[in-house]
Amino acid sequence: MANHDEHHESPASEPVSENGELYGVLAEYDTPGELIEAARKVRDAGYTEFDCFSPFPVHGIDEAMGIKRTILPLLVFGGGFAGACGGILLQWWCNAYNWPWNISGKPAWSIPANVPIAFETTILLAVFTSFFGMWILNKLPQVWHPFFRLERFGRVSDDAFLLGIEAKDARFDAEATPKLLKDAGALEVERCYFEADPARRTMPKWITALIVSSTAFALIPFAIAAKARNSHSSEPHIHIFPDMDFQPKFKADTASDLFADGRANRGHINGTIARGSLNADDLFYRGLERADGAAKWTQSFPKQLEVTEQLVKRGQNRFNIYCSPCHGFDGRGNGAIPQRVAASGGAWAARNLVAPPWEAGGHVIKMPNGQLFNTISNGYATMKGYAAQLPHADRWAIVLYIRALQRASNAAFDEVPTEQRENMPAVQAPTPAPAGGATPPAGGAAGSAGSAATTGSGATGVAP
Amino acid sequence: MSAVIKSLHPDEKVKAGKLGSSLSKAGLGIAVLFLGVSVVLTVLGSADTNSGHVSKWARFLHAYVIGWAFIFSICVGALFLVMLHHLARGRWSTVVRRIAEAVSCAFPIVFIAGLGFIIPLLAGYQDLYYWNHPDAADPGLNHHLLHKLGWLSPGFFAVRYVIYAVMFIGMAQYFAKKSREQDESGDPKISEKLRIVSGPAMILYAVATCMVAFDILMSMSPKWYSTIYGVNFWGSACVGGFATLALLVLGIQRTGRLTRSVNADHYHDIGKWMFAFTFFWAYTAFSQFMLQWYGNMPEETVWYKYRLFGEWQWVSIAMLVGFWAFPFVFLMSRWTKRIVPSLVFFAVWQLVFHWLDLYWNVMPSYDWLEVSNGAQTLNAGPLMGNVAYHHVGFAAVDVTVWFGLIGLLLVGIGRNLKGNLIPVKDPTLGLSLAHETM
Repeated sequence: MANHDEHHESPASEPVSENGELYGVLAEYDTPGELIEAARKVRDAGYTEFDCFSPFPVHGIDEAMGIKRTILPLLVFGGGFAGACGGILLQWWCNAYNWPWNISGKPAWSIPANVPIAFETTILLAVFTSFFGMWILNKLPQVWHPFFRLERFGRVSDDAFLLGIEAKDARFDAEATPKLLKDAGALEVERCYFEADPARRTMPKWITALIVSSTAFALIPFAIAAKARNSHSSEPHIHIFPDMDFQPKFKADTASDLFADGRANRGHINGTIARGSLNADDLFYRGLERADGAAKWTQSFPKQLEVTEQLVKRGQNRFNIYCSPCHGFDGRGNGAIPQRVAASGGAWAARNLVAPPWEAGGHVIKMPNGQLFNTISNGYATMKGYAAQLPHADRWAIVLYIRALQRASNAAFDEVPTEQRENMPAVQAPTPAPAGGATPPAGGAAGSAGSAATTGSGATGVAP
Repeated sequence: MSAVIKSLHPDEKVKAGKLGSSLSKAGLGIAVLFLGVSVVLTVLGSADTNSGHVSKWARFLHAYVIGWAFIFSICVGALFLVMLHHLARGRWSTVVRRIAEAVSCAFPIVFIAGLGFIIPLLAGYQDLYYWNHPDAADPGLNHHLLHKLGWLSPGFFAVRYVIYAVMFIGMAQYFAKKSREQDESGDPKISEKLRIVSGPAMILYAVATCMVAFDILMSMSPKWYSTIYGVNFWGSACVGGFATLALLVLGIQRTGRLTRSVNADHYHDIGKWMFAFTFFWAYTAFSQFMLQWYGNMPEETVWYKYRLFGEWQWVSIAMLVGFWAFPFVFLMSRWTKRIVPSLVFFAVWQLVFHWLDLYWNVMPSYDWLEVSNGAQTLNAGPLMGNVAYHHVGFAAVDVTVWFGLIGLLLVGIGRNLKGNLIPVKDPTLGLSLAHETM
């Protein structure tokens, strides 16, 4: 209110003063209730260009002023709807259309996974529409208003309940209008004039210039990004922090001129062993036996481990965690991952660990213990090694459990302990293999069949 | 319309008169008729051995637990409004608070009705809760249920039931009694006192509501667990509570009472709460589903496996569309909450779906395979296929028992519709009468 002081003392009674053209009149009321009553009278008198000002929202003022219901809810609904559709579309486009990526066979497009993000985008756009829509509908931000020239108006954010009528209203009358407001119970009615000097009614040019230039400046990064996306350049990157981009160190698996072999990777120094890594026992640590100077896979079991039911159970537990995803709980090679591959149209099965010797994959049953151990440790073909996840003893426990699975899978019905036979499904097939989870029989037998498979194999665990 | 404060219209009928006793009588009639029919149907029927039950009362008792949870949850929803009103120094709800108090004061009848399944449990009935079945203690079958059996034992279960009863009855009676005291004295200090009490009471209320949901509903499938279960139940309960409140107030206005005090603005706010809790229920239900679906842990997904495949999937879809999508879209509008026939329609609709929600939670556990099979399915490997034997199998007793228990709830409400139907000397009454909802 820089230019306030020179005008506010103008006498309220004069309809037109040397201060300029009349903008309107402003009346003050004592309570929100009186403001509502006054607003109703002004509305009933046919005025349309008027507004009420109060320190807090006054319930009922909308109805008293005859304001139409806002269309904001509709806009917000539209915003929220657009947010929901946009969120779904975004995820479909990213995950299912533009860059589908197979994550262990999970579907690229699945509605439940998209709900949280669609929910968030719905809220986001609804709230944005609500917030900015409210500003726009209320003609905000309004940096200047003629009523600001009145000192009384400053109290509107404190304790004043004001009603202002603009002179441009068709029914405005310099005498009758203030009288109407006064009759409606106004404490005081004040006139408000436009700024006399027309040059000072408009926004200063430097503010306009500032807004225009800062908007243009804010667009520069977008313009650069747009240019970069639509052009090619053979120039090298601009390095703003060269010592961060080019650090004096070697990264793994890169070339280096420093060493004679040209590699940055350095192996163990010959003739040295790290503390605690001697692992001198070839049988326990590598599954090897040495006879006549030649090493071969051991057929026996390390003497450090006692073959007990507990060890079989440990093996089962580790097997179910680390091996079953591919090989399946029953070792037949049809675990969750092959099933997912099949579900997404592929065909791949893991090695059948329990096939009898004359069937495909039957060589596993004939493998020496040491070779099984070595495969678990170091991997084979597409199978990675599990040395990092499984301590040596656990790997041997898995070897033991695989032997138990092989024994159980190739057992005849007569070999099943009698007390467990009743738990087994009706056996008609010539090979009485217990059913796994892959194709459960119909009805309630599914559960008991699976149960028999596991308990049976655990209980009939045999020494390797 | 727009006055900030109004006073009670001198001609307003605020006395309950014979309203309460007629409602009680009608309720008693409904209860006797429908529970009688249910008993006859059960006695004439036979045991459902397909679902693994040896007792013919298993279906009746499962339906009874669902119906009980329904009437309990409506009182829970009403008590929430009463306590929230005091806690937040509510204004609009003063005119309908006395009716919410009357609903919440039905707790004694509700907890007496609950003895209908507590007593059989104590007498050793095995076909209702699987944890009370001898199989539950079989280490081979249920090794991951054994450690829960200390908590889930009939004796301790009944003790907790009594504790919940004392808590809910105590809270509801306290708020109602103090409110009636204010009718006599007009002392504004009573409002202050209730506001202070309502804070701690709200905490007790939240804990007790969740615990009831865990004990009575979630333990139907004792191996499964979800920590948000109680909150989800509460959301559904509040939908039921506000729907009941809307119907009750409308019914009371039809008798010529409160016609000048309660108007579309108050219905609008009741409808808003119904709308809010409809969404809240969907939000928590999806939160529960999403984490278990995504986590893909067999011991958690097994519960959904039985509800999202086979015939139950149609009930699940009905829940999604009927309890959330349809009311969500239509209750969003201002007018569906302000126009009486539309509000009645949605209140009844939501009450039916609130019951279906409880049914969906509990009734799959009627199939003994669902609750007992978890361990075996786990060991059998991936949870795939083989859900064809899960029939929804709606039975007549499901509905007749529900209606019978609603009758008992009406008895409980009717007993408390007495004296003033509005807190006539509440300091906020003037504001509430002049309430406007934009």
